[in-house]
Amino acid sequence: MALVRRTAASVAGLERDGALRGQEQWLADLASNDTSIRRQAAQALSRMPDAVAGICAHLANERSLSVRSIILTGLIVHKSPAVVRGLLPLLGSEDANLRNGAIEALQQMPDEVAPHVEAMLADPDSDVRIFAVDVLSALPHPMVPEWLRRVVTLDPHVNVCAAALDALAEAGQPEVIPALEKLADRFSDVAFIQFAVDAAIRRIRGR
Amino acid sequence: MNMPLAPTTPVISDEEFAKFCEFFYRKTGIMFDTQKKYFAERRITDRMARLGCATFREYFATIRFEASGEEMQRLVNQMTVNETYFFREDYQLKALVAGILPDLAARRRKGQPIRIWSVPCSSGEEPYSLAIYILENWADADRHDIEILASDIDSAILAAAAAGVYTERSLQRLSPDLIRRYFTRQKDNGYRISDDIRGSIDFSQGNVVDPPFMRTFRGVDVIFCRNMLIYFDDQSRRETVEAMYDCLSPGGYICLGHSESMSRISSLFRPRKYADSIIYQKPFE
Repeated sequence: MALVRRTAASVAGLERDGALRGQEQWLADLASNDTSIRRQAAQALSRMPDAVAGICAHLANERSLSVRSIILTGLIVHKSPAVVRGLLPLLGSEDANLRNGAIEALQQMPDEVAPHVEAMLADPDSDVRIFAVDVLSALPHPMVPEWLRRVVTLDPHVNVCAAALDALAEAGQPEVIPALEKLADRFSDVAFIQFAVDAAIRRIRGR
Repeated sequence: MNMPLAPTTPVISDEEFAKFCEFFYRKTGIMFDTQKKYFAERRITDRMARLGCATFREYFATIRFEASGEEMQRLVNQMTVNETYFFREDYQLKALVAGILPDLAARRRKGQPIRIWSVPCSSGEEPYSLAIYILENWADADRHDIEILASDIDSAILAAAAAGVYTERSLQRLSPDLIRRYFTRQKDNGYRISDDIRGSIDFSQGNVVDPPFMRTFRGVDVIFCRNMLIYFDDQSRRETVEAMYDCLSPGGYICLGHSESMSRISSLFRPRKYADSIIYQKPFE
């Protein structure tokens, strides 16, 4: 037959009409064993700002990558303080896909994330602090260089400082260079830090 | 007004250019090697002049920290050259007939059409190229029903697509034989595509960020979405890809433009390599 023109009959029908379904019904659908039903529910709930708490609670337990993805996309669209509160605990998740999804989402909510940065960087778990630095590494917020400067000045963990150093190579201004030199002194026995500080300073100076 | 650069045109050092390249690549997937420095530098310095930035450092801070991302998007627009013509980026058309269509055909139930969607279709060169290329290069074309859908947000450009009249420049990649068989020369020197091909394309007007419009596309096997997402902001890009995911059948494919990469938008799709092209496949989940 080769080329045929699409006919009305060949167009798949629309999905279940969600207009009459309420938030509770969609939230209940998130418990379905059928991935497509959960994805459709997540899509519908993404248009309901009041559902943020329920969606975030579900996200931590959702196993399907496609459902996770549409939930995160919906949360990015809402980008509210409630969304940030719901996503922050995921920085401590053992699930790398979920954690990275949360990091990418948070990177797109600079104004909403800003009030939480101090607490994120003070987390007792150094891994969580590294992921907090990851959030800052692509956060479009003018305070980022200062937040990162505080990390390299104050954080006791070498890996957290190394992550911040890496981010400062891109985001840092010349004012941060003295803090980097002090970092090199603080970890004078760590060859990697010496190398990374030199590279970051060169990058920041632009020569 | 486009102000000419003053004699004190700011110079971007190699170190600054390296920093810019890493950042720009992370954000867009577009990579500049040192040979392209002049190309990129001219566009950056143009944007700097327009914004009144005295140094590259000042300009870089703008694109790095501006929450709206507006200046970054303007720069992307400057860096990308978009021109449409028949058989553009034909390595993807080769991938279509060498790998994608055989794969889809092998999984097809009898009588089930293969549905290909060109969006945005602009003035029609892409959907018509798909039709011609398939007819000319896929030996099994006659054994399957192939639907080609084509959409664009711009109703004027869509009307031009449906009219199917092109300049010689648009046809520059086609052999004289293909032009002779698929086009008719017009009195004004334009070329009109054959009625058979024109009538086989289902044109529709709509916006990919409009959910009701996107819900009218289901069971699509291949989406050609080239050189559009790069002009979207992060959020719209992500929403559009999610919507396209729902448009596709399990195992369906998305073809992006040469400077676009799905890995910067979504991890939902699996990269596949066909005929030297990276195509993105929806899992069968």
